Amino acid sequence: MEELSREVTVLNKLGLHARPAAKLAQEANKFQAEIKILYNDVEVDAKSVLDVLTLAVPMGETLTLKAKGEDSNTALKELVSLFEQRFGEDK
Amino acid sequence: MARKILRGIPVSVGIAIGKGFFFNRRKGFVTPRLVIPKEKVQQEINRLKQAIATVEQELKELVGKIPAELKEHEAILNSHLMILKDKKLFGEAQKIIAHQQINAEWAIEKAVFKLKAIFQKIDNEYIRQRMQDVNLVADKVSAVLLGSQLQVPHISERAILLAHDVAPSDFTSIEVDKIMAFATVLGGKTSHAGIMARSLQIPAVVGVEHLESYAIDGEVIILDGFEGKIILNPSEQELAEYTQLSYRFEDYQKTISKYRHLPAETIDGYQVRILANVEMFEEVSVVKERGGEGIGLYRTEYGFLNRNQLPDEEELVEEYLDLASIMYPLPVVIRTLDIGADKTSSIFSSIEETNPALGLRGIRFCLKYKSLFRTQLRAILRASVVGNLSIMFPMISGLHELLEVKKFLAQVQEELKKEGLEYNPELPLGIMIELPSAVLIADLLAQEVDFFSIGTNDLIQYSLGIDRTSKYVSYLYQPLHPAIVRSIKHVVDVAHRAGIEVSLCGELSADPFCVPILMGMEVDSLSLTPQAIPGIKRVVRQASMENCKELLQTVLNLKDVKESNRVVREKIFSQFPEELTFYSSLIGD
Repeated sequence: MEELSREVTVLNKLGLHARPAAKLAQEANKFQAEIKILYNDVEVDAKSVLDVLTLAVPMGETLTLKAKGEDSNTALKELVSLFEQRFGEDK
Repeated sequence: MARKILRGIPVSVGIAIGKGFFFNRRKGFVTPRLVIPKEKVQQEINRLKQAIATVEQELKELVGKIPAELKEHEAILNSHLMILKDKKLFGEAQKIIAHQQINAEWAIEKAVFKLKAIFQKIDNEYIRQRMQDVNLVADKVSAVLLGSQLQVPHISERAILLAHDVAPSDFTSIEVDKIMAFATVLGGKTSHAGIMARSLQIPAVVGVEHLESYAIDGEVIILDGFEGKIILNPSEQELAEYTQLSYRFEDYQKTISKYRHLPAETIDGYQVRILANVEMFEEVSVVKERGGEGIGLYRTEYGFLNRNQLPDEEELVEEYLDLASIMYPLPVVIRTLDIGADKTSSIFSSIEETNPALGLRGIRFCLKYKSLFRTQLRAILRASVVGNLSIMFPMISGLHELLEVKKFLAQVQEELKKEGLEYNPELPLGIMIELPSAVLIADLLAQEVDFFSIGTNDLIQYSLGIDRTSKYVSYLYQPLHPAIVRSIKHVVDVAHRAGIEVSLCGELSADPFCVPILMGMEVDSLSLTPQAIPGIKRVVRQASMENCKELLQTVLNLKDVKESNRVVREKIFSQFPEELTFYSSLIGD
């Protein structure tokens, strides 16, 4: 199956810290697709909050979301919108 | 291993010489490390999954209870839920169990260690700190796993039990007859561990700070329950001395027990009733044997603790009927469930409070869980047709609360009547006076009840604002603090003016230094641990009311607790020199 990918920028002031990381993993777990995050040549599982957290992505950085699976298109759309809405945080 | 003396707080008298064994250690201090046979690997993985599911359930329930204004807290709990599901932690732990064939607790420790190495490399301080959340979640699961260990470490011979802490509920899983004595790291003068030790009549020392660092399983130790000492690797001479001391103690106990069936009457003819505090049904049989003239406090918590299902009405009726008929014609006061604070049941462990001692406990708990309360009230009422039972309610803080309880009791009586079930409509009703508010309105409360029982352990704790189980502040637990002496005196006077009886059921009742003062107040009965009955009877039988009144007056006139302690110690010592060799007292130096 084809792998889709999208680039996103972290807008949250504290970067991809605990709360966004948890939200991201929580959301990713809703999909069947295998979802990965690529940042600084490191690829981790988006469904693992600890993986996401240990990437320690600061604000302003860009990372790549990759998804493979039946619902990969919807999954990427949802996840990208989470990034865009700063995971529901004000800043 | 070198000889070493560890000091703690003596809570139950006696000497034990024997091998020490750890019952538990502080979580995280030592993880049980076991190799799992191949055929049991799947079972071990399932045990881990079960524990994860339990924690998940707990967390979800917590999330559901969070008020809207604490959204931040909800986010934290949600991240904990995510960590719980994370394959990097528990997925890894499962792999470790399968590949290395080790127990779940150990596997978690290894998985956490791996993660720690990753987190340490992150140069963002904030994210590095999130390792704390990982530890927290891992600890929760490990705690459930440790709790789910079906087997309590098997003790093959009589031994001295060592533990980080023991809860009342632990005593249902320990082979009690194999314990010679016990020592714990936590605990203060009046913590429950002490109550348990005294009711089991074994010596105990609590608050032994470095116990876990120095004591080794299987090595001989001396436990001195008089002075609160644990001697590791004792010398030949010490072994000889302590053996001698333990014989002397046995002799003393034989002497006092000769008088145990005589009434507690002073030399000038004043009698006080000596009743027993009973923790669990199994103890009832020793009450008469030790000279108890009834049960002044039958605690009902035990039947509710450490079980997954609440006892049903029939089960309770049977227990209370047996209790009443074994003791008949002697009186028995059943106290309704005083659950909460340090006495919690696994059934209610979902209740989390920052300050349980000031939270949902005692009568408040029962008034919240009325169906549970109804079951117990029905059982007590139904059992009241035989024997000489009374009912008593704990933690009453005000008149309104008491009236609500009485109304509910009347309602339950009405239900029984309708169902054609018999009960004693004249069942005497009493309350515990253990809150400062109850002391101050004792005159109002006295109009509504048949008797008072002063619970000094809690009264001292709530009046002086100290946690009795904290080894850091338990030095402030001072029974002779003028506020306490005045409070007790006030309650006794008010009760007598209202024409009702007043009993005292705290640890003070078993303290030879305090009993003469309480006698001076003319308290009607003292309720104490069965173990202490013979000794206290003997103290009463050698005292005179005249002296007791004089001592009370002296204490009432003193302004400072240190002064009171000094005076009381001197006076009592001069009156009962040999009686006090083997007593530990709540009174400080």
